[in-house]
Amino acid sequence: MLAFENVSLNYGSFRALDEVSLHANEGELVVLLGANGAGKSSIFLAASGLQKACAGSIRYGDCQLVGMKPSRIVEQGVVQCPEGRKLFPGMSVMKNLMLGAYVHRRDKTGNRKRLDEVMALFPVLEHKQNDPAGSLSGGQQQMVAIGRALMGRPKVLLLDEPSLGLAPLVVKQVFEVISQINRAGTTVLLAEQNAFAALKIAHRAYVLERGRIVLEGDRDSLMSNEAIRKAYIGT
Amino acid sequence: MDLFFQQVLNGLTLGGVYCLVALGLTLVYGVLHVPNFAHGAFYMAGAFVSFHLMTAWGWPYWLAMLGSAACVALLAVLAERLVFHPLRHASPLHPMIAAIGVLLFLEAAAQAIWGADFQRMQSPYTGIVDLAGVTAPVQRLLIIGAAFALVVIVHLFLTRTVTGSTIVAMAQTREGAALVGINANRVAMLTFALSGVLAAVAATLYAPINLVYPAMGHLVITKAFVIIILGGMGSVPGAIAGGLIIGLAESFGAFYVSDHYKDIIAFTLLVVILSLRPQGLFPNAAR
Ligand SMILES: Nc1ncnc2c1ncn2[C@@H]1O[C@H](COP(=O)(O)OP(=O)(O)OP(=O)(O)O)[C@@H](O)[C@H]1O
Ligand SMILES: [Mg+2]
Repeated sequence: MLAFENVSLNYGSFRALDEVSLHANEGELVVLLGANGAGKSSIFLAASGLQKACAGSIRYGDCQLVGMKPSRIVEQGVVQCPEGRKLFPGMSVMKNLMLGAYVHRRDKTGNRKRLDEVMALFPVLEHKQNDPAGSLSGGQQQMVAIGRALMGRPKVLLLDEPSLGLAPLVVKQVFEVISQINRAGTTVLLAEQNAFAALKIAHRAYVLERGRIVLEGDRDSLMSNEAIRKAYIGT
Repeated sequence: MDLFFQQVLNGLTLGGVYCLVALGLTLVYGVLHVPNFAHGAFYMAGAFVSFHLMTAWGWPYWLAMLGSAACVALLAVLAERLVFHPLRHASPLHPMIAAIGVLLFLEAAAQAIWGADFQRMQSPYTGIVDLAGVTAPVQRLLIIGAAFALVVIVHLFLTRTVTGSTIVAMAQTREGAALVGINANRVAMLTFALSGVLAAVAATLYAPINLVYPAMGHLVITKAFVIIILGGMGSVPGAIAGGLIIGLAESFGAFYVSDHYKDIIAFTLLVVILSLRPQGLFPNAAR
């Protein structure tokens, strides 16, 4: 459904991605593991069109995403919930969510239905809908960020380190929701450092090191992989 | 007491004009991070286009204001497309220098078309009303009414409409805006157009009690910069509050201190306020 083929990406002369090939099939939850600076965010930025891949192709169905405008990519159904959330801090929670549906702004009834689904997924947001998003706790902000991405009606959802900086209990909730979103039919690509929690809900995973894929496999093979356990799970 | 209210009236007039100019400047800064020095030239162009439409083509005042708003909006969009857009990845110094270039270009163009002389714009509203002892020229009341109406309209546009929200969204989080599918180019053009409209309306409102000449934007734009620095760069409420503060301070200062020092009051206030509140009055409100 979403397939990277030999994608390279440079920041100036620094090569952040080096011939990365990976794919996510329809309905899959695929995890990208990697330490700080491995290139996880770069993969997502390339997919969303915020950074231009200098070589290779990113195919989504019949579309070539490389060179497509970010707004067009969202319209196609590839929606990212970025690292650091990138909410509109001064706007209310409701407004953040509604702007998530920006590309569907003409379909008011569809958006209202979608909003109900998001609120059902994150009931705490119901009481907070008129508060500025910037005033919420980290976990709640992450929920707004995921909710905002869902309002864009993703067919492929790109989640960049959604557990970053959250309390363990909140992390658990967030992963539960992600798994739920995936089971409801959305393809998910999830970048994480929290390998154990991520692998538990994943179908497959890739391990990224210094801009290269060094390992890939399904959940069970990676869970039992010695190197993975040492490097990312710590047992 | 009447003299006091006279100063309030004058202060609100000035403040209204400053609000409109500063609002455009702060929106452009908030969205594109360009300190648009050419904004004063948009203001000047707005006055000249209205003047031209009224004297050469015989358009009525309000229609001329609309025509001028449309022309300057177009001018601002052209500046964005031809000058600022190509420089969006350059170092911040480049668009600044380019803005000064646009300013010089527009001033030279105005001088070539209309000459360097001072011109007087006739407003149909020359009457004076007496408000409980305060003599209020109708044009001043009009400036106050129109400026505040426009500020309210802009506020509603930014907060209540989807299109307006895209401007605020991009000012708050550029990347977030791109990721929900907001087209940065469209927002940039829209913001410049809006700033052009505000500048043209402000100039057309103020010109009848002032003069029209190619350098008329200088003082207004320096004050507008003072206002948005004071209010917090990119902040909408900051621009409105700052505009009123500077307008009132100048009017009272000119009357109670000295008319000669009127134009340095803004800068004195800037120094005083920034030494007390370096982050400005509204550091990140509603950006
Ligand atoms: N805008 C940029 N300019 C220059 N170098 C960058 C830029 N963004 C990222 N890099 C570099 O590219 C490499 C990959 O960064 P990336 O953000 O993709 O890693 P990551 O796996 O997401 O890391 P993290 O876990 O910290 O989010 C890093 O070495 C980083 O320093
Ligand atoms: Mg990252």
